Amino acid sequence: MSQYRTQVRIIADVLTTARDMNTEGAGVGITTLLRKGNMSYTRMTKLLSELVGAGLLLEMNSDKISKYMISDKGIQFLGAYHNFEKFASSFGLRL
Amino acid sequence: MVANLTLIQDILQFIGAFVSLSIAYVSYRGVKQTESTSLLRLTTAFLFLGLGFLVEAVVGASYYYPQLATLTTTVVVSGLMLETTGYFFLAFSHAIDVMISRKLGYALLVFPVITLSAGELSNILSILSFFFVLYGVVETLFAYARNKNPDTLLIAGGLALIGVGTFVQWLSLLYFQVDLLSLVQIIIKEIGLMVLFIPVLNFAVGGKRPNVPV
Repeated sequence: MSQYRTQVRIIADVLTTARDMNTEGAGVGITTLLRKGNMSYTRMTKLLSELVGAGLLLEMNSDKISKYMISDKGIQFLGAYHNFEKFASSFGLRL
Repeated sequence: MVANLTLIQDILQFIGAFVSLSIAYVSYRGVKQTESTSLLRLTTAFLFLGLGFLVEAVVGASYYYPQLATLTTTVVVSGLMLETTGYFFLAFSHAIDVMISRKLGYALLVFPVITLSAGELSNILSILSFFFVLYGVVETLFAYARNKNPDTLLIAGGLALIGVGTFVQWLSLLYFQVDLLSLVQIIIKEIGLMVLFIPVLNFAVGGKRPNVPV
């Protein structure tokens, strides 16, 4: 049975992609984030601007193309997310 | 003898309040860091349970401070209401599938207050608590069947003990002349809370270090 993703889960997925796919250290493009994030372009751009505004992602502009890299605050958020995901899972809940 | 039983019950109520409020605090830390609504419901549940235990401890204290005795009936019902609300949020954390219309919801809130005596209200609150906990146990067992997490099984066990405790609490209200029943219910609930607290202890003081490869 498929389960809907909560907003916090979607954020964690985007941050995880930005962290794991940034192999060359130049950031991750929106196409990669869209492919892995499984959501519409409009929703993704809105979410990305929110995450950049919150300081969880860093936006890098080169040749008019935006690339995104996880920030230290984003890494801390992911750590807390996985920690409390286990906590919620103990109670049989999902974050 | 009665004084000893009251003292033991009072101590257990305070321990219950401490454990519940500790779980609420750990959940609240999760809410602050992740803004998760599931954790918010869990925080609310244990906050109400903790407050319920505290209020019931005040009822116990009325044995030693007779000037509190005039408040006892109201306070007993308030404590039970807080506790039932806590169990409701615990069940609600699992997203109760039953939909209640807004009008019926208001009616359910007002009806008991205006038509029932304190004794009847206490009985209803206790049995409601029992059903909410039972729902929580079933949902948690389903969650265990999915995630096979031993901590989830512990939580289900803890909730089951609390459920038995609430059932005995209901019996103690029916047979209120048997002092032992109210002591037994609080002991069973305390053991249940302790079992719940075992997985939470990992997060309680300072919290687990994130073990995410970064």
